Amino acid sequence: MNNTGKGCLPGCVVMLVAFVLGIIAFIRVSPILPHIQLPAEPLTKQPIIGDIYLTNTMVAMLLVDIIVILMAIAAARAVKKAIAGGYMVPTGITGAIEALLEAIHNLTESTAGKWTPRIFPWFAAITLFVLVANWMELIPGVDSIGLLHEVNVEEGEHGYPIKELAPGIFYIYEPREEHKEDVQAGEMGEGEGQFHIYPFVRVLTTDLNFTVGLALVAVIMVQVYGVMAHGGRYFLKFFAFDKVIPPSKVQKNPLGIIDLGVGFLELISEISKILSFSFRLFGNIFAGSVLLFVIGSLVSVVAQWAFLGLEFFVGLIQAFVFGMLTMVFMSQAVAGHGGHGEEGAH
Amino acid sequence: MDVAAAKLLGAGIAMIGTIGAGLGIGVLVNGAVQGIARNPDASGAVQTNMILGIAFAEAVAIYCLVVALLILFVG
Repeated sequence: MNNTGKGCLPGCVVMLVAFVLGIIAFIRVSPILPHIQLPAEPLTKQPIIGDIYLTNTMVAMLLVDIIVILMAIAAARAVKKAIAGGYMVPTGITGAIEALLEAIHNLTESTAGKWTPRIFPWFAAITLFVLVANWMELIPGVDSIGLLHEVNVEEGEHGYPIKELAPGIFYIYEPREEHKEDVQAGEMGEGEGQFHIYPFVRVLTTDLNFTVGLALVAVIMVQVYGVMAHGGRYFLKFFAFDKVIPPSKVQKNPLGIIDLGVGFLELISEISKILSFSFRLFGNIFAGSVLLFVIGSLVSVVAQWAFLGLEFFVGLIQAFVFGMLTMVFMSQAVAGHGGHGEEGAH
Repeated sequence: MDVAAAKLLGAGIAMIGTIGAGLGIGVLVNGAVQGIARNPDASGAVQTNMILGIAFAEAVAIYCLVVALLILFVG
């Protein structure tokens, strides 16, 4: 941290310029509440494969992939260089990545024990990926620059008129109160019809398809690790028939019937993990971006900064929680829950 | 009643469920802070478990939020 006046200077100038530009933009074009919809907006008129359109969250996914791979390459290079140079302390972004991964590794080690080398990559990969995806929300232009989409006014949808800023570049605006009737009568504005913007890039985690996909991967890998640790006996956790199947066992240990019921509850809780994983991430980030839209449309210049800070924090926490829960569930699955059955056998 | 008005009311009522999550998180953090105050050495483990518990408690609030968002923006 550099607290001297000199060190703060470029940052302060950038902030001041952004502030003044924001006020000018606010006076020239007052911000509007964009169209909010749950499913991702398609960018192509024709489906690319079968019934699948290229949506803006797919573009975001590719961007996140590229960023994470570049980060990995940069970190690996910096580590090699540091080792060759003889000093072992990485600096800059590599240092930040190292600090993050070290914290994650220590946490995994304290929970998973000897399974750390197997579980740590999942924790780290999920956390890094979701972190980059969430923080995309903070970049200007994401969620706001895109293709114009004509709204079907006959179906009662509500859009905005457009104005040409430069050849080929339009922006949508909210007509002022006194002109509203004119616009509805189609007498004002260069734009014919009513428009929305379909952004080129929309935050990846505001697409339920992605979060459900990631949750499925995480929960299925939890089961795979359970089977790797305990073999077929892992599934006795869910179907505890070994406690009741020669019925003589029930006479010896009547509580076995309860274990059978508990097993089914475990099965249900495993399925509900998919739900809670996906809705937690999706709900937090989608609500966050709606919050940013609404605040930005009410007070465009300063108020949003505080909420951007909040979203920075929420994105970090959610990425960490998703990774950490995966790690905890994996370590629970590989831990010796089937042990007591074995003790009975010997 | 107008369908749009009913939707807005429904979304608002759905968010009442977050009261429970708020209480739950309050109780959780209360316990964690007391634990850390009595045994500061255990703060790392307590914090990890606290965040885990908060994530579970918060999930319920997020279900309410998702229901409200579905009412508002779908269909």
